[in-house]
Amino acid sequence: MRKKSVSYAKYGYIFSIPFVVTFLVFSLYPIIYTLVIGFTDLRGLGVKEFHILRTAEGNLDLFGNFRTVLKNQTFTTSLKNTIILWTANFIPQIGMALILTAWFTNRNFKVKGQGAYKVLIYMPNIITAATIAILFNSLFGYPKGPVNDFLIKLNIIDSPSNFTLQRWTARGVVAFIQFWMWYGNTMIVLIAGVLGINPHLFEAAEIDGATPTQIFFRVTLPLLRTILLYVLVTSMIGGLQMFDIPKLFLNGGPDQATVTSSMFIHGQAFSGSYLYNRASAASIIVFGIIIVLSIFLFQVLKDKDEVARRKYLKAQRKAARQGAK
Amino acid sequence: MAKRVKTIALVLLVAILGVSLFAGGQSDKAPAKKVINVWSFTDEVPNMIERYKELHPAFDYEVKTTIIATTDGAYQPALDQALIGGGADAPDIYTAEAAFVLKYTQGDAKQYAATYKDLGIDVDRLVKEADIAQYTIDIGTNERGLVGLGYQATGGAFIYRRSIAKDVWGTDDPQVIKTKVGPGLDKFFEAAEALRRKGYAIVSGDGDLWHAVENSSDKGWVVDGKLYLDPKREAFIDQSKLMMDNGYHNDTEDWTDAWFADMKGANPKQAFGFFGPAWLINYVMAGNSGGDKIGEGTYGDWAVCEPPIGFFWGGTWVLANRDTKVKDAVAELIEWITLDSSNTGLQYYWANGTLFGAGGTKDSVASGTVMSKSDGSLDFLGGQDMFEAFVPAGAFATGKNLTQYDETINSTWRGQVREYTAGNKTRAQAIADFKRQVFESLDIPSN
Repeated sequence: MRKKSVSYAKYGYIFSIPFVVTFLVFSLYPIIYTLVIGFTDLRGLGVKEFHILRTAEGNLDLFGNFRTVLKNQTFTTSLKNTIILWTANFIPQIGMALILTAWFTNRNFKVKGQGAYKVLIYMPNIITAATIAILFNSLFGYPKGPVNDFLIKLNIIDSPSNFTLQRWTARGVVAFIQFWMWYGNTMIVLIAGVLGINPHLFEAAEIDGATPTQIFFRVTLPLLRTILLYVLVTSMIGGLQMFDIPKLFLNGGPDQATVTSSMFIHGQAFSGSYLYNRASAASIIVFGIIIVLSIFLFQVLKDKDEVARRKYLKAQRKAARQGAK
Repeated sequence: MAKRVKTIALVLLVAILGVSLFAGGQSDKAPAKKVINVWSFTDEVPNMIERYKELHPAFDYEVKTTIIATTDGAYQPALDQALIGGGADAPDIYTAEAAFVLKYTQGDAKQYAATYKDLGIDVDRLVKEADIAQYTIDIGTNERGLVGLGYQATGGAFIYRRSIAKDVWGTDDPQVIKTKVGPGLDKFFEAAEALRRKGYAIVSGDGDLWHAVENSSDKGWVVDGKLYLDPKREAFIDQSKLMMDNGYHNDTEDWTDAWFADMKGANPKQAFGFFGPAWLINYVMAGNSGGDKIGEGTYGDWAVCEPPIGFFWGGTWVLANRDTKVKDAVAELIEWITLDSSNTGLQYYWANGTLFGAGGTKDSVASGTVMSKSDGSLDFLGGQDMFEAFVPAGAFATGKNLTQYDETINSTWRGQVREYTAGNKTRAQAIADFKRQVFESLDIPSN
């Protein structure tokens, strides 16, 4: 008689089918499609046929779209803007999140009403980005707007200032919105990371007479390294895809000062000429940049002690094997 | 027992998943119901169709409406995909706004539009009978024939404050004021100077003038595949600078709070007037005038006269899908909305503000026939009959200077003009940057 064994493994596969199918259809296929049309002449509304790009003489011109895009000043401007906007939002964001994390997780001063504070700080993240962008657009209105009225009342300026025409003010506002929306989220992630650290380590440090500052820099931060890497990489990917806030705040203005690479891609594909091929080429370039930067961050933030230890162990095993021979 | 509960839960879960996964497919298989899919960017046309159903109980079609606002350019890509995709959910009737209607009537998406003739509408007779403004026909026609018409007439007039006119020229009579602000922009700037001496701005911002300049120029942005800067549009950069340097306007941008504030005279320097069609009065200015009775805010302190230059601004065109399965119903609706000039046609209700009962908003309509038998007097205009100014305004307007790229190119141009007037750039640099940005974002070269 055949022995019947009960295996629940198949349920795992069954339940993952919807995800796999959705992923294949709605994620993997579009990615591959994008990759392909980046090398073709696909442009124009409703056009379904496309061919690999060729020069006028009929020679294969595989990277024509990429060359055009890289020569496009709007694209290089948009890349520069994206990096400026992301950096200007991430540095204060991680700084603020770390300070708040240090306060909320400090065992010496129990902050009262912690839950309420966390909720309040997280709140901006719940509001739709579109709403916030439009809100800030009217806040900075000219010649009439709350910010102008306020600055005039305080005698900081004597006549209304047209903020929406000042490149750095516009960038500053976009970076500020990003910072203000995301520092709460980053803080929650970091607090979760700190709570995951073995409390004995903190106790031991305290007993050894470490000050709270020392504990934070010598114990908490090093053990948070993987979480920090996670925050950094996800924020960078999110930042390089920044779209809704600059788009809705001033639609990339003034004079392309807040055009981001995602807005450029969207514009190429949908703002009138339907240059799908160039939009795809630009997407692939941005994708490449994200990969390179991510690898770079992984290298920089790699736990060097851990790597050294593994290397050491490997060398030891090797030596042991050779000794046995 | 516990096991049974688990099994039931599992079955339920699978059932829920299954239902949600296949729900889309099932509704398609349901017995063919007579459905009309309507796509629009406001609820205006869908509401008209709902009203038509109420007025004609025999018309038993279910109307499925999809409304996507044009803000942030969301409407066009969605509509494009729906047209390309086809199938049971494809739009049967769809609408397009002046800013992008050319794409759907004469541009990249023209192949999806059915001609009114193919729908079975007797176009030639009805157009004459209704006396439809020529510019709306020009916009709605391609080499296959007429594919789209509007129900509004959006020829523009100059809308001004009576009290300021009296203060500066001693009269608020439209017949006199039209000779002060026009004809031509030279007279307009003379009037601006006269107003400035009395402490008024002639318009709220340079955008007001732009709408008039844009739609009165001779050619559109693109001629023979190349970017074309019409001399009238190019002159706008100098006119804008002139207004800025002399303080002829309040330096507002259209659709911002400060612009609306000028409608109720809330800025320190009062603005004299706005360029606009009838819809600007009824849907924008009336609501922002700070009142709804004569004497409240600026309500009743306005009048309309002929503009210094003829133009039109905005408007909605109604199109039908070539592949529609409900051709007769679609034709019936479109004819009622765009070409029926009888007292039971949409436009008669629309002009008199009686579509949803008496006392509604009046608007100028595409049909001259309807306007001539309608009453366009508005309390907002101090009792003036607005059709006096808007019937001739429709004739000034030209529909031959639009392109499908207008939305993008206009905002690029106005951005650069603003850079120049604010003193951030030289004139030559602004024009060069404009040309470069258009080329880079739309692949339209300039000479």
